[in-house]
Amino acid sequence: MKVKISDKLDDLNSLLNEIKETSTDIGAIIIFVGSVRGLGRDGERVLRLEYEAYEGVVEKTLEKIISDLKDKYGIIDAIVEHKIGPAHVGEDTVYALVASRHREEGFKSLIELIERLKHEVPIWKREVTEKGSYWIKST
Amino acid sequence: MVKVRVKYFGELHDILGIREEEYDVEDATIAELLLKYIPDRHAGVADKWRETVFATVRGEVAINKDGMPILKNHFILVSGKSTELNYRLKDGDEIAILPPVGGGNAK
Repeated sequence: MKVKISDKLDDLNSLLNEIKETSTDIGAIIIFVGSVRGLGRDGERVLRLEYEAYEGVVEKTLEKIISDLKDKYGIIDAIVEHKIGPAHVGEDTVYALVASRHREEGFKSLIELIERLKHEVPIWKREVTEKGSYWIKST
Repeated sequence: MVKVRVKYFGELHDILGIREEEYDVEDATIAELLLKYIPDRHAGVADKWRETVFATVRGEVAINKDGMPILKNHFILVSGKSTELNYRLKDGDEIAILPPVGGGNAK
């Protein structure tokens, strides 16, 4: 299990290799990549996003989520990295990798992991657009 | 007298213009910290603070049947653990006031 928040995400291929080395029982690795969309909610042009986090609590919360998913779905391992600070259009902001024996529990776990990441983990996102800036709330 | 550290995130540090600060409080709960100490120190934005953090009715902070103010989708952590507003502050506590966390859209 690895969780990290940073102003620079690690290389995705290196994370893929890292999780592959966790176990020879792995039969599926499902990956989610979150990136900055160029259009805001109201159609305005996005200039950048700005992420801030409650460091320390973010890591503990993510570790709890992964631990829950191991218990619930029997996944083998997961890695989550989330960017903090400014992120420009097209830039990757989240990497989440779930390794499992079969694809079914991997897909289910990854969806749940991302939903919980968006709703439970203390990370806030400000969208800076050509018309102004707004703190984004989950929907 | 106890000394506590308060951390603000998201729009709260925009409102107050500060990310964290310390308070010396006398036998106070978190509710008193949020309703009295913080707005007293930041008097210029006290109304905005109350409207953002608390549910309000006709401009007044809404109170539940136990006499506690009602938060507006905000959460309080004390030294990393979720805590009720009637928690009595202890020396060295770190209080984090968390606005609703913000994620992307699923659809």
